[in-house]
Amino acid sequence: MTVSDVPATVLARARKGDSEAFRELVEQHSRSAFRLAYRMTRNEQDAEDVVQESFLRAYRHLGRFEARSHFGTWLYRIVANCAVEHVRTRLSRQNRAPMEPIDNLAPPSDSPGPDRLAESSNVRERVDAALDGLSPLERAAFTLRHDEGRSIDEIGRTLGLGKSAAKHAVFRAVKKLRVELSGIRDKGLGIGA
Amino acid sequence: MHYTDDDLILYYYGESSRRAAIDEHLVTCGTCSTAYQEIVSTLALVGHPEVPERDERYGLEVWQRIRHKLPVQEPPFWMAWLKPALAAAVVLAIATAFVSGRFWPAQQTPAPQSAAGDDLAAAARERVLSAAIGDHLEQSGRVLLDFVNSGGDKVDVSDQQLTVADLVDTNRLYRHAAERAGDETVASVLDELERTLLEIANGPSTLTPAELEAVRARLDAAALLFRVRVLSDELHEREIAPAQPRKTT
Repeated sequence: MTVSDVPATVLARARKGDSEAFRELVEQHSRSAFRLAYRMTRNEQDAEDVVQESFLRAYRHLGRFEARSHFGTWLYRIVANCAVEHVRTRLSRQNRAPMEPIDNLAPPSDSPGPDRLAESSNVRERVDAALDGLSPLERAAFTLRHDEGRSIDEIGRTLGLGKSAAKHAVFRAVKKLRVELSGIRDKGLGIGA
Repeated sequence: MHYTDDDLILYYYGESSRRAAIDEHLVTCGTCSTAYQEIVSTLALVGHPEVPERDERYGLEVWQRIRHKLPVQEPPFWMAWLKPALAAAVVLAIATAFVSGRFWPAQQTPAPQSAAGDDLAAAARERVLSAAIGDHLEQSGRVLLDFVNSGGDKVDVSDQQLTVADLVDTNRLYRHAAERAGDETVASVLDELERTLLEIANGPSTLTPAELEAVRARLDAAALLFRVRVLSDELHEREIAPAQPRKTT
């Protein structure tokens, strides 16, 4: 059953607090919610937490959902914003703990061949560290543009930003990544995750 | 003339309005071509995460995890607007009745021949008023809690401000009624609540995390949410308890 097959009656019942009807919505939308949450957090456990929190938030605010809107689109916005908060909390925790600067991560070895897997893993670590260096909003806007293929307009609507703010969040993210990854980029170690 | 990084990023993502011009320019301009190649290789390096698979039972698993944690649903927008409006109308009627001296027993001068009947009626009316104020405090507590739990870089509180503005009007009527009745406990909490509600209603519709934190700190310092909850519970108890002389503290 696709997302668009959710009958209006199920939504209407869920909006009146019918938990069985809400269960149907959860069952139909969980996988797509997880995909978005994972892309935004790049961490499986964080994505699971975001999915749960998003559905609890959706249930709480279901009365405010406009029936003529698409539930999937509404939930998408909730998941995206929940992921932003989750990433913010994670970064805040990391900032309180002693953190290894990105430049201190071991640089990738020049030798090709058997060490290639280790290099790839190292590159991925550096990419993850560079992504963690973005602000939560920059990261969210970047993910929606880069991984989800959303237009600047859609990113603005999803994150509650104006078009200009959404555009500049993406610009800042790409520029920061370009600077942070310049060392390994120049060595020509591009990998496709 | 060179294109900016912003132009090239939009071009990369296919959102540039000058696509054809940039196409041509990149062939002839080494500076822009180098900058563009850096953007392309950076974004290739970032790649796209491979999302772990979740099978068809995943939805059910999520449901099993959250089913016992489902929160109370918030009322729809129209109800959020209508309830305070209705409450205000009811409060106005009650307050008018009170001001005319027919409410709290302390201010009554019953006619000797119907004293018992009047006492019962007054006690019933008092319970109704207690329930109404209790409901008002409960709703205010929920709105304040929602407000302080807002999050984000820029917190848009314009929706909450509309609800809060309605609560201010209702609160004022109840406070006047409590002051006239000499119920200092209720009046004091309502007074403090009103000042906080006014501050939110008249404040900026977008708050920075620091501004929101300042509101949180003030609420915590005054223990307002706690006091609102305790008084709301007490008034609901009065609603179901047999009529007793009202305590004035």
